[in-house]
Amino acid sequence: MKSSFKWLALAAVAAFGIASPAFAQKKGGTLTVGLELDIPGFDPLKVGVYDTSANIAAALIFDTLVGLDDNGKAKPKLAVSWSNSDDFKTWTFKLRPDVKFQDGTPFNAAAVKWNFDRQKDPKNNCRCAFYIANTLSVDAPDEVTLVYHLKDPAVNFPVLLTRPDQNSSVQSPTAVQAKGDDYNRNPIGTGPFMVKSWTAGDRMVLERNPDYWDKGKPYLDRVVLRPLPDSQSRFASLKSGEVDLVWADEFEADNIQRAKKDSSLQVLSYAGSGAAVNVFNTKVAPLDDLRVRQALVMALDRKKMSQAITNGLARPASNPYGDGSWVKCKDDGALPEDAKKAAALIKEYGKPVKFKMLFTATPRGRANGQVLQQFWKNVGAEMEIEQVDQATIPARAFQRKFDITPWRIVDFPDPDVQMFANFYSKSPLNLANFADPDLDKALEQARTTPDEAKRTEHYCEASRIINQNATWFFTFQNTYYAMAKAKVKGVPKLYGGVIDVSHAWLE
Amino acid sequence: MARFVGRRLAYLLPVLLAVTLLTFLIASLLPGDLAYTILGDQATPEKVAALRAQMGLDLPLWQRYLLWLWDVLHGDLGRSFRTGETVLAAVADRLPVSLELMVIAEAMGLLIAIPLAILCAVRNGSAIDRFLTGLAFGKLSLPPFMVAILLIYLFAVSLNLLPATGWIPFAEDPVANLRSFVLPALTLAIAEWPVLMRVLRSDMIATLQEDYIAMAKAKGLRPARILLVHALKPSSLTLVTVTGINIGRLIGGTVIVETIFALPGIGRLLVGAIYARDFIILQGCVLFVAVGFVMVNFIVDMLYAVLDPRIRHGRA
Repeated sequence: MKSSFKWLALAAVAAFGIASPAFAQKKGGTLTVGLELDIPGFDPLKVGVYDTSANIAAALIFDTLVGLDDNGKAKPKLAVSWSNSDDFKTWTFKLRPDVKFQDGTPFNAAAVKWNFDRQKDPKNNCRCAFYIANTLSVDAPDEVTLVYHLKDPAVNFPVLLTRPDQNSSVQSPTAVQAKGDDYNRNPIGTGPFMVKSWTAGDRMVLERNPDYWDKGKPYLDRVVLRPLPDSQSRFASLKSGEVDLVWADEFEADNIQRAKKDSSLQVLSYAGSGAAVNVFNTKVAPLDDLRVRQALVMALDRKKMSQAITNGLARPASNPYGDGSWVKCKDDGALPEDAKKAAALIKEYGKPVKFKMLFTATPRGRANGQVLQQFWKNVGAEMEIEQVDQATIPARAFQRKFDITPWRIVDFPDPDVQMFANFYSKSPLNLANFADPDLDKALEQARTTPDEAKRTEHYCEASRIINQNATWFFTFQNTYYAMAKAKVKGVPKLYGGVIDVSHAWLE
Repeated sequence: MARFVGRRLAYLLPVLLAVTLLTFLIASLLPGDLAYTILGDQATPEKVAALRAQMGLDLPLWQRYLLWLWDVLHGDLGRSFRTGETVLAAVADRLPVSLELMVIAEAMGLLIAIPLAILCAVRNGSAIDRFLTGLAFGKLSLPPFMVAILLIYLFAVSLNLLPATGWIPFAEDPVANLRSFVLPALTLAIAEWPVLMRVLRSDMIATLQEDYIAMAKAKGLRPARILLVHALKPSSLTLVTVTGINIGRLIGGTVIVETIFALPGIGRLLVGAIYARDFIILQGCVLFVAVGFVMVNFIVDMLYAVLDPRIRHGRA
């Protein structure tokens, strides 16, 4: 009893510490961030889709219309308010007046519309257009009013505009037009930092934007982004003080565990929604048989797998939502992990179970493959590992040239976009080739119901159908990591794996 | 001499043609398609076909190669489809970094190898000779990425003497620039010195048995003078060849070392281009590397002639 009081008190202090702005944010200083990859650039027409490194830079250079608060709810950013039509197909945003891009171009509704139209234009063949497929058009009736017309209803549309990605980062129309091919590496936004210099492959230096619309911010004078592709030397650079913060993932579990024990360092982790998932092609034998698919799912032991691949850091997943989502299911329909039952099902099927699975041609891909291979061998199924490079997996998936392929449901503030794309029978991304009227109905209702509790019910129903039919299986939840010097403060939750240091400060 | 140089230069052309053609072939054998990479999640078969046609990817391989060659001969190496950077700009940014790294690494390698080789040759068969040749053999089997991580933990994390990663332009701060090259160059040098030492050692042992060395000794010349002036030069022919070939190996080594030490060199540009299926950049990098390699070998051939007059006179 006594000890639980102590814990309560500690929890209260912790909560207060996080919630209270009482600690003064220190101004000034340089924050150096170690990323994993080189940033190819920022012009959506050129780079198509931002990777995490580009997202992290975009969060500094650009603003989005809407932001996410600590609870994952929409908060104003370049848009100050919004409203929707009764059918959730029309959304109207009121924009912040008197904001300028870093090149002096005024930010207004026309600028946002220009960004959208350019990406949407079929002539431009932008890979980015896929992610705005549900938005039919954008109108700018006046300087500060922006109207989105959607094809399908979206009850939680504002949160879909929060990710610092190729679609939602608002870029200066005049800069894009004036610089042409050179714009890609000379981006101009309305964000708190401006690109001062950029040496490809080495570092991008960003200086404080003195005219930032949010007065008094940002706190830092300068942010330096450095691509450090090797995880060991990246961690060594953090330890030696050459960088203050580094991107990390659970495949460098040993470094993360070392950092946790090191008092000069801190580990920022965020248990996101979504999961690492795998898709059965339900149209090819032997995976067209329900018993076989169920057996393969039951044969897994996710805890052991996590231990083998990530030192136990990876959190097992049994549905597409994960602990980070507001969708919490009492019953997600997960099949039991039961190797005996699995072996019995394979036996019942009677014919030999042989198939191939795609993996990335990386050490991680190989490790994943070998572990799965072993689980399945134990129940009498024979999987052949087919290692291909990263770029090949989407291509093979879209052409349905696979038996099983890995996939990912990324952390996103609302499940609708990915759930509908991945599981709705008529979606081009229905990779499993699976159709079920009840599943379709659950997904349709979930996107037109504003009430969160009711939506949760629909999504849990969808999860039960997917799990019972074993069309996809879920291995691990998404956990995003960063490691930093203890003095780095003010980094929000790593939504979608993006480390947003735009409002960080150094103590 | 002029004819000698001319003939060597004439070899360059077919070599470069063969190298670029091979790159083209290998790149086209890689799985994955540029059109899919560009279109991504919205890659419908029709769109892929249309984009392939637009980019000329549907043309037969030989036709694409000839088109590329035609542009190159007109001084146009193309632009990256992904970043919009021209090949020339991308390579010009990266090449100096790799060149500096290779020069420092090779110099470090020679600096370690030459004294040790002389020592071993003089003390041929002694305990120190056997220890060093044994060490060199053992070192050959230690991969550079291990060496790199060990060096980083020792010099950057524990002792905090040198930076673990990164690069400062020479123009900005020459000392910092050199400091940033110490560990990466040392990593490469540690991989290189055993080979260099072994060839110089065996050549030197042979030279030391020549009559004119005995003659020099008999004349009462100081041992240091005999070794460094009379013995080293004629013993270094193989060393020069190996140093030349090593440049080729070093280009391979820089890919790993540049990745670990986060140096913005051509090795990382090359790897990035492969992952992104950025053929234009890939092809450009390979062209530059091939030209560089051929040029180094050309210089080595020239050096031969300088080191051993028999080569230039015998041919002419």
